[in-house]
Amino acid sequence: MRFPKRIGQTSNTGRKVRLATAAMLLVATTVTACGDSKDDGAKTSAPKAPATIPELTKDPLTLSFIWFDWPPAKVLEDFANAEYKKERPNATIKVNTVPNANWHDAMFTQFAARKTDFDIAILDSQHIGEAVTNGNILDLTDFVKSNIDVNAYNPYLLAAYGQFPQAETGKRDENASLYGLPLLGDTWTMIYRKDLIGDKPPQTWDQMISAAEKCQADNPGISGLAFHQANGSDAAAVTYNTVNGVYGGNLWDPKARKIDGVLNDAAGQEAMDVLVNKMKPLTAKGSGNWFIDEVNAAVAQGKACIAFNWIAASGGLLDPKQSTLGTTREQILDKLGFATLPSQKTDLVPLGGMGMHVSAYSASANQAEALNFMKWFEQADVQKKWAAAGGVPARTDALQSPEFLNAGPFNNVYADSVPRMRDMWNVPEYARLVDIENTNVNAALNGAKKPKDALDDIAKEQQGVLDSSNRKGGGGL
Amino acid sequence: MKDPAPLTTDHPGQVVSVTPPAPGRSRRLSDRWLAVTFISPAMLLLLAMSVFPLLWSLYLSFTDYSATRGGPAHFIGFGNYTAILTSAQVHTRALTTLLYVVGAVGLQTVLGFGIAYLISRRTHGRGVLTTLFLVPMMLSPVVVGLFWRFMLDAQFGVVNSMLGSVGLGQVEWLTRQRTALISLIVVDTWQWTPFIMLIALAGLSAVPKYLYEAASIDRASEWFRFRTITLPLVWPLLLIAVMFRAIEAFRLFDLVYILTNGGPGVSTETLSFHIYKVAFLGFNTGTASAYGILMVLVVIVLTQLYLRYLNKLKED
Amino acid sequence: MAVSVDEAVSTGPARDHAPPARRLGGRGRSVLEVVLLTVLAVLMLFPVLWMLETSIKENRDVYAIPAKFFDFDVTMAHFKDVFVAPDGGRTALSVSFFNSVVVAGVSTLLATVLGVPAAWAYSRFAVRAKKDQLFFILSTRFMPPVVVVIPIFLMYREFGLIDNKLGLILIYAAFNVPFTIWMMKGFVDEVPAEYEDAAMLDGYTRLQAFWRYTLPLLVPGIAATAVFALIFSWNEFVFATFLTSSDSVRTAPPAIAGLIGGTTTDWGLVAASSVVFALPVLVFAYLVRKHLIAGVTLGAVRR
Repeated sequence: MRFPKRIGQTSNTGRKVRLATAAMLLVATTVTACGDSKDDGAKTSAPKAPATIPELTKDPLTLSFIWFDWPPAKVLEDFANAEYKKERPNATIKVNTVPNANWHDAMFTQFAARKTDFDIAILDSQHIGEAVTNGNILDLTDFVKSNIDVNAYNPYLLAAYGQFPQAETGKRDENASLYGLPLLGDTWTMIYRKDLIGDKPPQTWDQMISAAEKCQADNPGISGLAFHQANGSDAAAVTYNTVNGVYGGNLWDPKARKIDGVLNDAAGQEAMDVLVNKMKPLTAKGSGNWFIDEVNAAVAQGKACIAFNWIAASGGLLDPKQSTLGTTREQILDKLGFATLPSQKTDLVPLGGMGMHVSAYSASANQAEALNFMKWFEQADVQKKWAAAGGVPARTDALQSPEFLNAGPFNNVYADSVPRMRDMWNVPEYARLVDIENTNVNAALNGAKKPKDALDDIAKEQQGVLDSSNRKGGGGL
Repeated sequence: MKDPAPLTTDHPGQVVSVTPPAPGRSRRLSDRWLAVTFISPAMLLLLAMSVFPLLWSLYLSFTDYSATRGGPAHFIGFGNYTAILTSAQVHTRALTTLLYVVGAVGLQTVLGFGIAYLISRRTHGRGVLTTLFLVPMMLSPVVVGLFWRFMLDAQFGVVNSMLGSVGLGQVEWLTRQRTALISLIVVDTWQWTPFIMLIALAGLSAVPKYLYEAASIDRASEWFRFRTITLPLVWPLLLIAVMFRAIEAFRLFDLVYILTNGGPGVSTETLSFHIYKVAFLGFNTGTASAYGILMVLVVIVLTQLYLRYLNKLKED
Repeated sequence: MAVSVDEAVSTGPARDHAPPARRLGGRGRSVLEVVLLTVLAVLMLFPVLWMLETSIKENRDVYAIPAKFFDFDVTMAHFKDVFVAPDGGRTALSVSFFNSVVVAGVSTLLATVLGVPAAWAYSRFAVRAKKDQLFFILSTRFMPPVVVVIPIFLMYREFGLIDNKLGLILIYAAFNVPFTIWMMKGFVDEVPAEYEDAAMLDGYTRLQAFWRYTLPLLVPGIAATAVFALIFSWNEFVFATFLTSSDSVRTAPPAIAGLIGGTTTDWGLVAASSVVFALPVLVFAYLVRKHLIAGVTLGAVRR
């Protein structure tokens, strides 16, 4: 074995020089950090996009999006390159994708870097508050006023992907600012085995649970239910929020900024009890970390009677190559039914989908192109073509068009669900709120916490996050 | 930062250790120049990429700075530190990390030493055996994590499938509080047992033959020989391996990220994983920096222990 | 205690304590030990074999319950999917492999160019507080990546190095330089300084002596050291995942991790890309098996 030989101790002068170097470094650090902070202070609110689209470049230009890796991203890229190019031959569309688990982090670390490799961020509706408060995306209010026919939309749908502060469920505040426009609508669909529980879908949540219970008892090896339970992304949180809505609960009181006492009221407790004590026992063993892909796999493998999943993620279920339910699309459709969620005390369903938001750090030519793209995209005929290509449009006329309703068996489900949607909080603290809810609901589903304790902990911790939101970077544990 | 002077001595007499005393002044000067030019680029890279960032972190740890929310950073003294040290959330993660480190390193030490002992007693096939055992250690934690996640899947995973075929029920490896932590420990043990084995094997091969011969003349029992000859001679080297693994295990992030994502709930969140959440979900950069500095302090203490021990071993 | 790993790893003749075991324990015990070793070896290797098997299975066999060990149809489709996209182009995964080659290669080169001369200087000259310096250097390597990534992120955003291959190259080089110095110092220590002294008496300068006499002798050591640095950069995940966001920069570890968690997970593809990813590492590790102990302990333990 060889080791460095001991050669003499550090002399005094050497140590002083080293200390001095360290001190210099520290000073340099402080200066850099402070300089950085001043820079930050200048742009704490979102910059405004112009009311009219500036002159577009004639040079070749790549308009970049950022989304997570799933089929609609590919659909969007192909659709935009095929159709938008007809209007703007010099523009190329590139949809960058990141893994779903990194989606929020990938966008917001780039926002934090004040430099983005995308021009249009496809934000989840709940991300808007964080992006607006940090000044990461353009304020589109004036642009929308002069370029978009706002009456062509269900007001809440338009508000959901753009308005901040958040709109009241089902409404739009016409005086509030808009920061984005709808790209892809989405909600949960109930996927049920017609061959096992009958053609008619259960109408109430209670009926749904009994149907699943009976189906599981009648068909050994097939579990009654499959739904999202994972502790990442917004998986378990959306599941609880959905049940919470159906059982008449509320996530928070936005005006009073109150969560503790609202989320965990009697309705909230009942929802948690239904989820953990009635629904969870009907799921497959070890399904406590399931998200979109695992639920899809369970349905495709014929292992679930009733499943819940996002509509936009369900296309693969009809692919015979990935399914054991049939060798053709028709055979699969004989067995699988898609229905709007059952109702109980209310008929609320979770709002999914994403909007388009213009990065504040993108070049001005690209921002102009982005605005032009959005104006083009929200036209009636383009929305219908988007529907035919496999997208989910937002304009009411497109939603009711045969192009959309005939494009997929779940599209009727979406059209029926639009007036019933409810969203989570889109406050700047969203990422932490959803993590608290995800981990606690996941803990309750997997027996690591009692349901009541989990719900009370969510309410208490989320309230703490909201209350300390005036602190900037402290806290956060 | 650009002054590499502290790296070398100012006393010409001490500069040259290996050259004979004959060479004149010019050679000594060129030696010093050589040492400086050869060492300083590497040092500069380390200062820029390791020391400078850590000092920056140290500064931020006393502020409420956020990387995304903007606004000037306010000094809040030790606020972040007291918040972290008194947080029940942090205590939970510290306990999880401790359980994981003790469980994983303990298990792999026993197994690794056991395998090394068995291999050292074989005459044939030692090379092949050793090489095969070393495969897991060279794999990326990403590959290891993904693959074990696949194998431990409760529904179609091969582990439960095998348990089922011998009549045992399904185990929820990744979704129950206790089994999830055990799974982490098992996977880490699978990957790093070869590390301990490799070093223990080197130690075992170095035990001088004459000691055993002497013992066998005395008709000492096998256990006695193991306890009095083998273990004391291998122990110092084994301890180095154990300390090294403990430092690495303490920093664990990637396996948790892929295997359990900290679940169920937060029951397998390690300190590293928690820092990631504070830093990149909440962007509470100040708090995350303080949290990180505290972790670095622990690492420095562990590293110092390790290096001192390493040095002592050499001097003996 | 001057035993090298070679001896531990080599298929040498009977050594040291095997004979007493036979004398005392007898054949039965020997058989028991062989059985035990075999069981352990199977346990350790099973996941690797299962990964290989999954990579050549049809997807319906991948999910089969009970698991299929032998009777499955062999397909190379997953390996094709790793490189060729459904539309015939390159997959994002294959781009990430290329990025990994560039990032790991260049960072290793940088660490070697910076580390080898420093190691030589530390070995040959009486540098002030040498031990402290060397220990300081090694301790930077022990910093938790998740902690380092926070200030590195802030620093990189000033320099535009986020989502940039150069950013990854620099941080990997910084993590590999301590290792290179420690590992190489051991190799330099093994080359007698007298070679250089003799050359200098012949009129060469110290630098020329290093260049002409010592460096050629160090080449095998440099190669081994570089291979370990390469393996580290190749396998690294934390920095890669937080400092990259686009397909054109992302390296293979985050790209492979990204294969799960979409709308469907193709475990056959995960297995195939894992095999493609792990193969070079295993080949390289085999090439430097003589130096494994030093390599995996960052050069701190040498035997």
